[in-house]
Parts: sequence; structure tokens; C-alpha cells
Amino acid sequence: MRPALDLANLPDADVVALAQQGRDLAYRELVHRYERPVFSLVYRMVRDRELAEDLTQDTFVKVLSHIDRYRPEFKFSSWLFKIANNVAIDHLRRRSLDTVSMDGSPHAGTIEAVEASSFDVAVPQENALDELEARELGGAIERAIASLRPEYRSCILLRHVEDRSYEEIAVTLDLPLGTVKTYIHRARHELRKALEPLRE
Amino acid sequence: MNHRHLLPNEIDLLVDGEVGFGVAPLLAHVRECDACRLEVEDGRQIASVLEELPRFAPSYGLADRVMAQVPVFVPWHVAARDAVMEWVPASKPFRALALAGGSALAALLTMATLWVITRGELVSMVTVAAGDRVRSAFSIGLREVLASVFGEQVFTAIAQPGIPLLAVAGAGFVVAAALAVLGLRAAAAAGRRRA
Repeated sequence: MRPALDLANLPDADVVALAQQGRDLAYRELVHRYERPVFSLVYRMVRDRELAEDLTQDTFVKVLSHIDRYRPEFKFSSWLFKIANNVAIDHLRRRSLDTVSMDGSPHAGTIEAVEASSFDVAVPQENALDELEARELGGAIERAIASLRPEYRSCILLRHVEDRSYEEIAVTLDLPLGTVKTYIHRARHELRKALEPLRE
Repeated sequence: MNHRHLLPNEIDLLVDGEVGFGVAPLLAHVRECDACRLEVEDGRQIASVLEELPRFAPSYGLADRVMAQVPVFVPWHVAARDAVMEWVPASKPFRALALAGGSALAALLTMATLWVITRGELVSMVTVAAGDRVRSAFSIGLREVLASVFGEQVFTAIAQPGIPLLAVAGAGFVVAAALAVLGLRAAAAAGRRRA
């Protein structure tokens, strides 16, 4: 009889090793661990909740179906984000959706559908005014991110939302380190310009 | 005061909070240059706003939806190990007992094998005796079958001249059987043509 494993406390590499041995629970643990980061990245890339759900699912299916190809010298999360980014970028290239509004899905046909697919960036705040300001700033930053080129968007999200180093981003996105630095600098510059009216 | 403004990569170093040997002069410059200080502060503010962005959750049951599409492959060596592990007792005392029993059995089998190997003449004698018994049982069985099919006299007539006649009789039987089969097929084909 096999003893139950406490997967939640294991590092990624060990959970991946268990998945490579065909442990169903290890697959689920990997999905559970990364569903939010991957979904957030994809959602901010494609700006459509339903589509982001599908692409997130595709990402995990691709990664887990080829888990035997994973090489432990790389970080699992970098590999996962690389696939997620490729899936999102491929979709944007196919559909030319790189500058869609964050106020709802472009596929939505009714007001209800627009509302259902719109962003909700509310975070817990102390009072209504704080919440309003946060929503306004959150909405503005989300809009500003949405207006960035997809390449800049991936870099800036991985850098600041996922807290990845420049080197990791370069590996994840298959870009030279210098290019990553340039993209992040330009993204920050464009975000600063986009948010200037709000700060005045 | 150094009048050269900071380069973009130098601004980024400060925005990212790098601390290294080359950062001190940049910080000294920023303390004295309003334009560069403003740029660094703006960069830090943007970074801070981005870092506070929430993470979104997908709808419930993503893992189930993913797992419905992922083929979970169990390598043969893992499957074999699991099959063995199913037989290993869960509690420590029983596991120790099973280990002791298994070890004793393995030792016994090893010793028996070694004993047999070191006694080659005994092995060959046992093998020859077993072979004789099998051969004699086979020939008795064959004799009884032939005697019951063709009768005792025919068997004696075939057996007396020995192997050559037996071989001729066998070949004749095969040829007769083949001719019979061909004849039957020809008759069946003729019947189909008539129909």
C-alpha cells in the first residue's frame, strides 16, 4: 500500500517527477498551483474571460500531455509560462486582438454578455472612496497594459505581476536578455505616459 | 555634480532596486538631479502599481476539465513497483515479518540451487531417468492408440520390420490423405458448378 503524499509542500521539481511517474494527483497539484498565475497572464493578454479559460485549459493540456519531455534543469514555471505566452500570442496573431478594450469581450453580443465578460479589478479596501480610487487606478492600469504591444505586455506582466527576473523572462519568452530589458523599459515608459493624466 | 543624466538602463537599475558596486554613483546623481529623480520615482510608482495587480481565478473545476483531456501514462517500471508495493504490508511489524520470511525463502532457494549445481552427476542421472520415463510412457501410449485403431496384428506387422516400413506406411498415409482432400475439393467444386 502506498502512503499518501503531501504534494502541497513539495517543490515543483518533485511534483513534476511524480507526474512523470503517472501520479494523477501530481498533475492536479500542478494545475492547482499555477491556474491563477497562468489564467491571469492569459486573461490580460487576450482580454476575454471565456477565451482565457479555453486558452488556459489548452496550456495545461499541452504541458501535462508532454510532461515526459520536461527537463529538470529548467524551472517548471518558466516552461509553463512559455507555453501559456505562446498560446496567447498565437491566438492574438490569428485574431489580431492585441488592443481590445478591457470593458468586455469583443465576442459579446448583448449587454449582459459584455458585463459578464468584463474585468473586475476590485481589491479589498478600507472604504468606498478608496475602493473607487483603486477601481479607477486599477481600470486605468489594466487599460494601459491592454494598449501595449503583446511582447511588451508579456514582459511587463512576468516582471511585475509574476515577479520573474530578467534572465527568467528571457528564457521563458526565448528572447535575448537585452531585448527583454528594452521591452520592459519601453513598457514602463508607455505605461507612465498612459497614466500621466490620472496622476495630475 | 555630474551633469550627464542617467541612461535608460541606469534608471531601470534603480527602479528594480538593484544594489551593487555601480549603483552608488547613480543614487548620488539622483539625489542631486531633479529630472532623473522624477524619472526614477515615476518608474517605481508604475512598478508598485503593477505589483499590486490582482491575480484572476479561472472558473471552478479547471483541473477536472484539464485531466479529462490529458492521457496519464504510467511507465512499466512504476506499474511493476506499484504492483509489488500492493503486496507489502502497511504496518511496520508485518513488513519486517514479510521481509524476514521473503529473505529466508530466497536464501533457501539459493542454497538449493547451489547444491544442485555442485552435484552435476546427480543432475544428469535424474535427467536421464526422467527422459526414459517420458519416452516409455509416450511409446506405450502410441502403441495403445495404434492397436485400438488398426488392431494388434497390424501393429505387430508394422513394428516387426522396424522403422523403414513404419516410415513408408506413414508416407503412404500422408499421400492418401492428401489425395482424399483433393478429391473432396474437386467433388465440391463440381457440385457448385452444377448448382
